[in-house]
Amino acid sequence: MGRGTFQENYGQDMAIFRTKQEWGTLLAFLILLFICPLFLGDRVLTIMTMIGIAAISVLGLNILTGYCGQISIGHVGFMAVGAYTSAILTATLGWPFLAALPAAGLAAGLAGLLFGLPSLKIRGFYLIMATIAAHFIIIWSVLQFRGLTGGPDGMPVPKPQIGFLVFNSKASYYYLVMVIACLAAYGAVNITRTRAGRAFVAIRDNDLAAEVMGVNLWTYKLQAFFIGCVYAGVAGSLLVHYYGFASVDEFPFMDSVWYLGMLIVGGMGSIAGAILGAVSLKLLDELVTIMGPVLSAAVAAQAAASLALVTRGLVIILFLIFEPRGLAHLWRIIEAYYRLWPFSREEAE
Amino acid sequence: MTRIGFGLVVCVLMILVGLLLVPMDAGAKTVYIGGTMSLTGPYAEDSAAILAAFQDYVKYVNETKRMAPWRKETWPADITVELLWRDDELKPAKALSIYEELKAKGMLVYRISGSPIALALKDRLKQDGFGATSMATGPYLLTPPGTIFTYYPIYTDDLAAVADWYKAKWKESRKPRVAYLTSDNAMGRSIEIPEMEAYLKKEGYDFAGTQYVPLIPTSPPTTQLMWLKEKGVDLAFGIMVNPGSQPTVKEMVRLGMGPYQPYKMTFACGTPSHLPVFAAAMGTLGDGFVVAGGFPPWDELVPGVKFMTEAQKKYHPDKWAAHSQYMGGMLEAMIQLEAIRLAMEKTPLEKLKPADVLQNGFYKIANLDTGGISSTPITYGPAKIEGVDAVRVDQLQKGKVVKQGVYPCRHLYKH
Repeated sequence: MGRGTFQENYGQDMAIFRTKQEWGTLLAFLILLFICPLFLGDRVLTIMTMIGIAAISVLGLNILTGYCGQISIGHVGFMAVGAYTSAILTATLGWPFLAALPAAGLAAGLAGLLFGLPSLKIRGFYLIMATIAAHFIIIWSVLQFRGLTGGPDGMPVPKPQIGFLVFNSKASYYYLVMVIACLAAYGAVNITRTRAGRAFVAIRDNDLAAEVMGVNLWTYKLQAFFIGCVYAGVAGSLLVHYYGFASVDEFPFMDSVWYLGMLIVGGMGSIAGAILGAVSLKLLDELVTIMGPVLSAAVAAQAAASLALVTRGLVIILFLIFEPRGLAHLWRIIEAYYRLWPFSREEAE
Repeated sequence: MTRIGFGLVVCVLMILVGLLLVPMDAGAKTVYIGGTMSLTGPYAEDSAAILAAFQDYVKYVNETKRMAPWRKETWPADITVELLWRDDELKPAKALSIYEELKAKGMLVYRISGSPIALALKDRLKQDGFGATSMATGPYLLTPPGTIFTYYPIYTDDLAAVADWYKAKWKESRKPRVAYLTSDNAMGRSIEIPEMEAYLKKEGYDFAGTQYVPLIPTSPPTTQLMWLKEKGVDLAFGIMVNPGSQPTVKEMVRLGMGPYQPYKMTFACGTPSHLPVFAAAMGTLGDGFVVAGGFPPWDELVPGVKFMTEAQKKYHPDKWAAHSQYMGGMLEAMIQLEAIRLAMEKTPLEKLKPADVLQNGFYKIANLDTGGISSTPITYGPAKIEGVDAVRVDQLQKGKVVKQGVYPCRHLYKH
């Protein structure tokens, strides 16, 4: 928001976009996002599609962990629930994608409710352990129900189709993912502005105080688990339809940790942070992948390749130390600095 | 200001990545081979050896313009071979963007680094008409056959060969009891198909069941092994990588299980357990362990092994790649370049597309002499992705790899 713009009523205070400048920026961003396939190659579209899917998942994790303070390291397990629900509904039962996608979200949400139940009794480290268990129970179940899920062999998943539109090209799938990612971000912003959103923040900041104020912990913690996991389920569904194949190997436990890392780097409790985290860590991943073979001229190939793991870990540590509120906060500082420019410069000097 | 500086550094890094994503044009007379490697994760050792072999083969072809010392075919003098690779960490999501990157760079062939990558890329490769060599070789490659080609038998054929070998040695009047002791992942579990169990029963085995071991065990698989003991299992087999099979055999010995232990039981794995690597690490402690579908040991007198030994001595004398998958890498590099060479007989390099290399290259590879590195010469076709027709079975005896024989591929998996 520019200089000299003041909130004069609650409506203005609650508005997501208020000034013409903000609406203009949004419009420019959306236009840029949707004309990308016209000038970008398959590779960049693939990366952006994967970023979009990761962003949807991290937005869900942000509601659960960033807003409500319920740390989950089983997020990828819930993505698997959504993925397999969508795969079974479309491939085995012949459901249309438009019905399978919300069903995937719903199934993951229900799984989230189930595994969220312990959150009413436990928190912190113990909740982390419970969500880790959720991941392994889900993956184990997928492997056991071989007749339904294909077990370790996985199962083929058809390309999504909505009416006469078949999303079988990289550009069309990119559009599908970006539309859903935009809707997911819009939904997440709105959730945070509701009574539930404010209750989530109250629980995160001090659950005892929140309860004393009349916030029903039982209801809101489970709501957070449900909403967060719905996002994960949708992301999981989009992921397997993109691969054209569902396999448990697509949902490794470590990805849950990296999703949490994305949230740390982007900024917990911020919608922009969730998106920035997904974008930055995915791009970092690409950077180190490209750098691996270059560096292998100087060091052993394995050591160069391990750079990815080291760099990601290092980035998370550096953010935890120097900018624990993440890129979103960093962006706000830069924004504020230039909004007041040149006065901010004088002040800094 | 420090935070603003930090923010600017982050912005510059993101712009740098953006610039790196812009594809560069491939050189006019350059051919790329290689693909995705899993240099981090459970297949790190295998992939590092494969990468070393690819690097050596590229140097050899560029220097000599020959396909192999024992082959008369030559490589065109004006075309340079280059290796392109990226580490995928065995993550399908990463492999997807790597595939698109290398495809944009003008690669005509590809490689697969493991089962998760094969599952994620199989349909995409087929859709794009890309032929790829694969380090992973499960039945999923046959459902239906795609464009991913292996150079050692699929896991179920490995185990059928072990069953044939063991049955020929069986002297008792009762039926031998068999069980799976396999990795708890897509690769390990891919042997659990009805055709495999039916074959074992047809061969006169009594099937006891299955036990799983983590791909990389974090604790000795004592309970699984005790289960085998309680069930009176004579032959256990599965699919494991060396970091899985080595601790498993150590625990077997501790529990007194093995062909030379009080409780007589033979344990066999299909490749990617590598017996030469196992022998070097375990010595006589691992005596009796069997591997099917493997590569020859480094002291075997075949032209392929001699060539690889010389290549290593020449290109990196101080850094010997002892891992057996060096041989796998050499095979993959040979197959990829042979496919391109054959395709170039029909279409000039400038006009060559991945689909041409698949149709006129991979599918036309017939009886490719690998100098004894693979069990048999390699032949591919639209429905024949397995490459070899026989399975080599080796056993560790007195700390040495001893060849037990070559058994026909049973092609158990019906697709």
